[in-house]
Amino acid sequence: MTRDRLRWSVPGAALLLLALAPLWLRGYWLSVLILCCLWAVLATSWDFMSGQTGRENFGHGMFVGTGAYAAAFLNLNASVPPWACILLAGACAMAVALVIGLPTLRLQGPYFALATLAAAAILQRLTIIFWEQTGGEEGLAGLTPLVGSPVAFYYVALACLLCTAAVLVGLAASPWGILLRAIRGDELACEASGISTTRHKMLALLTSAFFAGTGGALYAFFQLQAGPYLFGVATSLSVIIMSYVGGIGSVYGAIFGAFVLTVMGEGLRRFGEYRLLFHSLVLIVILFFLPGGLVAPLWRRLRGAEAAP
Amino acid sequence: MLEILVYGAVTSAVYALLAMGFTLVFGVARVLNLAHGSFYALGAYGAYFFGSRLGLSPWAAALLSVATVSAFGVAVERVFVRPLRRTPLAVLMITLGVSLLVEQLLFIGFGSEARNVTAFVRETVPLGSVQIGGQRLLTLCASVVLLAALWVFMQRTRMGTAILAVSQDAEAAQFVGIDSNRIFAVVMALSAALAATAGVLVSPFLTVQPTMGLLPMIKAFSIVILGGLGSIPGSLVAALVLGYSETLVAYLGSAAYTEMVSLVAILAVLVLRPSGLFGARAAV
Repeated sequence: MTRDRLRWSVPGAALLLLALAPLWLRGYWLSVLILCCLWAVLATSWDFMSGQTGRENFGHGMFVGTGAYAAAFLNLNASVPPWACILLAGACAMAVALVIGLPTLRLQGPYFALATLAAAAILQRLTIIFWEQTGGEEGLAGLTPLVGSPVAFYYVALACLLCTAAVLVGLAASPWGILLRAIRGDELACEASGISTTRHKMLALLTSAFFAGTGGALYAFFQLQAGPYLFGVATSLSVIIMSYVGGIGSVYGAIFGAFVLTVMGEGLRRFGEYRLLFHSLVLIVILFFLPGGLVAPLWRRLRGAEAAP
Repeated sequence: MLEILVYGAVTSAVYALLAMGFTLVFGVARVLNLAHGSFYALGAYGAYFFGSRLGLSPWAAALLSVATVSAFGVAVERVFVRPLRRTPLAVLMITLGVSLLVEQLLFIGFGSEARNVTAFVRETVPLGSVQIGGQRLLTLCASVVLLAALWVFMQRTRMGTAILAVSQDAEAAQFVGIDSNRIFAVVMALSAALAATAGVLVSPFLTVQPTMGLLPMIKAFSIVILGGLGSIPGSLVAALVLGYSETLVAYLGSAAYTEMVSLVAILAVLVLRPSGLFGARAAV
């Protein structure tokens, strides 16, 4: 019972704080908070697939970019209403996941990582090469706004984060989540007990891609623009660093990681070019000194300390 | 026709230089080095910096650039890769971090616009009915000479034999007194030098930009997958296959589709023959 008190009170308090934030945050800092929510969606969706099954996807940007471009295309060329665009964007990202995942998911860790990195980089090149359709470096601009005001958009982003987190944390705690972690632990043993590991990894990748696609589409509606940088290595690596900071495989940790790094990154915004340098340095520090991440170990210790007496 | 033959050979030679370093590091240390593309970019920028900024002769600039990048490769290995070698994914992360770091530093130092590097050879050589740039022919010849030298080094010297020994069985190599850490440092230096040489050679006729390293690194990876992981002859054949198929696609279809070739090659090989053309070990 005591253990459950922290388990629900901390996320509840955080959610309440976030829900009330527009009362005292306006303008610039509200948009930072929106960015936090969007990055958190991307980071948890990455952590669900890669943290649970241990297959690190280095090309998460391909789902984000696909989602953003799909939403922009549908909205601009077929004038699909924004809400439908977001869901369809998730479906498009799943289609990409299917094509890329089927051959590459059989690969061992590092090769899967490099193959996904390659796929994302080449998709990014394609957006530049087919500039007549995709707008090249400039991307696609002029999307229909999703809602009227920044505050309303903030609540949309928060709701999206809440749905994503609820579904993914729930799935990770379900028997299926246990199965996915069993694949991470010992794939051969799983196969020996008659589990088709490739199928389950594929399903996990599809789930991850769906949420990343919707996150990317929301990002496009936030910026009212979809650009090729969304496919980029920087996007994929940022997502991974956020999950690392949160603690890989915990799903909820990635949300905190996204908030921490986005806020810190915005603080460095006026230094512009130095932001990626900063991210790379955070990554180096985490890899060397905190291989378990920052948030998840603290959280476990906190709950452990409370449950002990 | 002759044009396709020569241009394809030039592309293949550059790819072979890149892939050889990549596969050497993989074979010896079982590490996929994502900073490999940044060695290539640094090589090209080194030629620009020493040649155009400091005004050295192209040859001196090339040598200095290769030497600097080679030292940088050793530093990356010593500082970032060696402490994390036991966890392959941490190595991937850290080397990707290094490559982003290099890209950002190049942006800050040189800006995002493309840079011009003076060619070593300005003359064009008539070949049948077409004129081929001298720099391209130099690239082809230099690459072939370097690859041959590498082969001799690996087969005929003590150090080369030690490298082969570590790549076959690192533990057994330790037992006969080979210091595998030293071998790894040597291999990193070689691999960085080869990538930097490729960067220097192509810098006069390709665009020199901070982001230029990523795609060649991906090409090197697809060649290594296509040829079979850790197989040196496999990499050579795969470099030829990829170089010529890209050139053919550019001539018959459109230059826009060349980037697709390597992705299709990776996916097709993984589905049809996961161990690659000559590979002993499958990536699956």
